[in-house]
Amino acid sequence: MKLEKRSNRKKKMKRNSFLIIPLLFLVASCSSVDYTRVTVEVPIKTVLDIQQLDEIIITDFLIKKEAEDFDMNQELVNFFTTEIKQSFKGTVTFRKTSFENEQLFKDSSFWKNLQAGPQGAVFFTGIAEYSKEVRKAILETKKKGAEDPFSRDKAIEERQFYTLNLDLYIIDAKTGETLYSKAFKESQGYENPKQTGPFAFYELTERVKQKFLTNILGGSRLQQRYLITD
Amino acid sequence: MHKKLTVYIFTIFLFVIILSACSTAIQHNQIQFGILSAQNGLWDEAIFRWKKAIQHNPDSAAAHNNLAVAYENRGMWEEAREEYQTALKLAPKNNYIQSNFENFKKNLEAREKVQQEKKDEKK
Repeated sequence: MKLEKRSNRKKKMKRNSFLIIPLLFLVASCSSVDYTRVTVEVPIKTVLDIQQLDEIIITDFLIKKEAEDFDMNQELVNFFTTEIKQSFKGTVTFRKTSFENEQLFKDSSFWKNLQAGPQGAVFFTGIAEYSKEVRKAILETKKKGAEDPFSRDKAIEERQFYTLNLDLYIIDAKTGETLYSKAFKESQGYENPKQTGPFAFYELTERVKQKFLTNILGGSRLQQRYLITD
Repeated sequence: MHKKLTVYIFTIFLFVIILSACSTAIQHNQIQFGILSAQNGLWDEAIFRWKKAIQHNPDSAAAHNNLAVAYENRGMWEEAREEYQTALKLAPKNNYIQSNFENFKKNLEAREKVQQEKKDEKK
């Protein structure tokens, strides 16, 4: 008796399923969400159309104030060579150059005499200065323990500040004229007293890179947009 | 037998109701398909779908907005601006379109700043 009932139920369910499935399908296809967030890659406008050129020649940098624990010129040359190679379609080379003073950056004959070769090329160069400063201040710190949660201790706190001044130049190799230049002053404070100069230097050059290289080599910025339905 | 017939009539009735309620959604299937394409990075397909949706219904603010987003992704600034403006004319109070357009304008200002820098550099 029970078995009969069960088989009847199963038959009924099978009969109804052909109605339920299309119903569910319809509801699913008709249900719509108001909006969808998508990530768009918005192209960045470049100041110079440098991708049209064949070669970027990276020269030495004029170092106004040497860093204590590392060769700043070498670090800058290596850093920018690697970064530019990643996004520049042409060739990237290095030219050993020695500067006597800052005036040479505006002297077109100096750059023309470097003889860049027959191809369309630009010099990538700059002036750098890196400094470290220890700043002290009396700061209030929270007292340990739960006796009085509002009481505070005063203590002398120390912060290490690193500043990188970097003037970057893009110079036309044929004419010696400056095509684009920009001055950067990047600064960062660290609580850690053992913070090393090279580490801070890398952080600061990374910031300059993001601002400067996207201006000349292009790229895209990721942003969020809403796609909607009526 | 009578019970069965009622069930069938009721189901058909339900179908008709759902179909009529969803008629707009079915009409704008192109928009949904375009969104799916865009989510998968197929922006050309998305543009094609949203253009089709506009052909069917030129007053679709959603299609104009979505097309503007696609143009922005392609770096077609003028086209994007036109589409955003049309979308805002059709649905001036839509927060999503407003937000998209605000962000678009910020990008445009940054571009104009770069162009100005370029001009200054030449001087």
